[in-house]
Amino acid sequence: MEQLVVSPSPHLHARANTASIMRDVLIALSPAVVVSLVFYGWSELLLLGVCVLSCLLTEALIEKYLMKAPVTIADGSAAVTAVLLALNLPAGCPWWVAVIGSVFAIGVVKMTFGGLGQNIFNPAIAARVFLLVSFPSQMTAWARPASIASAWSLSPVDAVSGATPLGVVSEGLRAGLPLDQIFAENGFSYAQMLLVNLGGSAGELSAVALLAGFVYLLARKVIKPTTTLSIWLTILGVSGIFYLYNPSAYTDPVFNLLTGGVLLGSIFMATDYVTSPMSRTGCIIFGFGIGLQTMLIRYFGAYPEGMSFAILLMNAFVPLINRYCHQPKYGRA
Amino acid sequence: MDNKFTFRIGGVHPADRKLSRDCAIEVLPLPEKVSVSMAQHLGAPAKPVVAPGDRVKTGQVIAEPAGFVSAFVHSPVTGTVTAVASKADLAGKMVMHIDIDVEKDEWAEGIDLTPELVTPLPDDKQLILDRIKAAGVVGLGGATFPTHIKLCPPPGKTAEYLIINGAECEPYLTSDYRMMLERPREILIGAALMQKVLGGPKCIAAVEDNKPEAVESLKDALHFLQLFSKDYENIEIRVLKKKYPQGGEKQLIDAVTGRQVKSMGLPIDAGAVVQNVATSFAVYEAVQKKKPLLTNVLSVTGDCLPPERQHNYLFRIGIPLRYIAQVAGGVPEEAVKIVSGGPMMGKAIANLDATTVKGSSSLLYLSAKQTLRREEGPCIRCGKCAQACPMGLEPFLLKKLAEVGDQQALEQNAVQDCLECGCCQYTCPAYLPLLDTIRIAKADVLNLIKSRPKN
Repeated sequence: MEQLVVSPSPHLHARANTASIMRDVLIALSPAVVVSLVFYGWSELLLLGVCVLSCLLTEALIEKYLMKAPVTIADGSAAVTAVLLALNLPAGCPWWVAVIGSVFAIGVVKMTFGGLGQNIFNPAIAARVFLLVSFPSQMTAWARPASIASAWSLSPVDAVSGATPLGVVSEGLRAGLPLDQIFAENGFSYAQMLLVNLGGSAGELSAVALLAGFVYLLARKVIKPTTTLSIWLTILGVSGIFYLYNPSAYTDPVFNLLTGGVLLGSIFMATDYVTSPMSRTGCIIFGFGIGLQTMLIRYFGAYPEGMSFAILLMNAFVPLINRYCHQPKYGRA
Repeated sequence: MDNKFTFRIGGVHPADRKLSRDCAIEVLPLPEKVSVSMAQHLGAPAKPVVAPGDRVKTGQVIAEPAGFVSAFVHSPVTGTVTAVASKADLAGKMVMHIDIDVEKDEWAEGIDLTPELVTPLPDDKQLILDRIKAAGVVGLGGATFPTHIKLCPPPGKTAEYLIINGAECEPYLTSDYRMMLERPREILIGAALMQKVLGGPKCIAAVEDNKPEAVESLKDALHFLQLFSKDYENIEIRVLKKKYPQGGEKQLIDAVTGRQVKSMGLPIDAGAVVQNVATSFAVYEAVQKKKPLLTNVLSVTGDCLPPERQHNYLFRIGIPLRYIAQVAGGVPEEAVKIVSGGPMMGKAIANLDATTVKGSSSLLYLSAKQTLRREEGPCIRCGKCAQACPMGLEPFLLKKLAEVGDQQALEQNAVQDCLECGCCQYTCPAYLPLLDTIRIAKADVLNLIKSRPKN
């Protein structure tokens, strides 16, 4: 008598699984990682290594010794958190900050809620905000190497201290300078922001690299463009209104889109499956909330940027959004 | 080519794998014994009208409908009835069967066995309906609902569309495709007959764009028939963009007419009647040839079979599946699961001694790599299941609600609308058994709905 397997339908499965999706996200992040390594050199490699090691280790240790459950670091989700966190730190930030951030991201934000799929907040974003309020000086010391050669030089070279474009603008406005003068003095240009923009988090370095990742994620159908586009349009819209109202006091829409981690956040962090809404309508509302809060913080808040706060706040609304936003059902219009 | 029709909500794109598409239909030789199931249709199992020792001819009635929703069953062979008893069907469920020792193949009187195409349609609608009913025709697209009932809309409802379902959206299956290539004229005559019974609705034969040869074949046949008669003026061949589950009634109606059937409603509520191409062929044979439904086409296919061992067989009902497997060269080594029907909605066979029924469509061999389930992971809330659901449901939510047994919330979230098409489970990156859980919850909620007093 032959042995036949009997189980209910369906008898086939699409090839994509959790690990392959996480792998796709890592591939999508790779252009940004490569660019940051090229320009920030050893210090960036150190941060990346520290983040990956401590994230994986934290998850493995918690699963093994606290939860007494199978270790699931092979699914790649901790690695994604690690790379995102590394890209969210200022280049040259001390390695122990990265360790604390990683332990917080995985240990507190992810595992205390039950691990993958259970967390309310995006671990990397929550860790970044946690570090920003805990270690403000380390987290806003935007050191940058004088050149690519010095970034990869084995002997320590003095780093040039810098500031993010948003920080420069914020400071300039406080000093009572008009915007066009600030832009002119600092030599800001859109082309530079698109290609290589030194200063800021490692992941904000190159808009083009991030956009390449976005295209890859869309092509592989890992994410839908809804959330990301909703954020972009809201930021363009809100800053557009303010810019038209007073162009010398409020930064312009394109500048706001290209700076302060908007691309990194909108492509890779706000689209995190676990902490974003399920339905299309939900994603539009979620993106609108993020865009609006980002702009309000930038124009009226104490912090020059605001993307991470906005994502974190909107993460908290996701269960509520999911409760009220559903996709249209067949035959129930 | 871009604005091809398809349904609007959800759906997935499993690879085609129509490996047996180029295998012409072969007539399956008769075995020594057949065993005919009384439950070949949706509704009450038929009531046997023969007893052990009776001699029966091919095409003779051996069981009668046992209720409004039920159908005649005819002897597929000529021989002696040896037993009328309960036996396990392919899933192991006990069903009444009539066993017959095969002696020869002598058909009952009045059945036209000539190959000539009969094109003139009878004028009398009732005659057409009576012949369909007498021939035991049931829907061959999967549900096996008695066709004559579907062709009599309830009072106050009229059919505006008759949709002939040639979507065959399940991977692997090619029986409908072969029928569309080899018997397109008969299929269209059957369609015209049903169109006549329904009072002349617009008839649209819908085929997915992965079967261009079938589209051409039907178009040629339509031109040919239109030369003879005006009866075929109001028939259209429609190409649909390939997407699973397009062959589902509700999805097909949406794709073809842009209408949706309301929840818990019937297609006729949206003014549509859907019939499969194989059903249409059976209607042709029933009405034009007075031939009862005792044959159908089945694909023997699967990745584990080399091209020369792929087959499409014209089989009779009551033939043991094991016999078909042997005729086709035996069960391949790599096969761990044999499915009757498509890989998305078909049933895994537990018992190869079960026999073919009117609606059998395949013997599908699946390898371990393809079909064995992987270890479940945690839900990552990606929402892919909800995007894939062709009914717009939220499988992740339904599964959670089912696990806590909240029937009220399950009903509010429309678990009863689930088609059991399997898109959610197919697409879930965490390998969660979404449909397993939802299927059980759906049955419970449907029972709850049925138990309520009607106002």
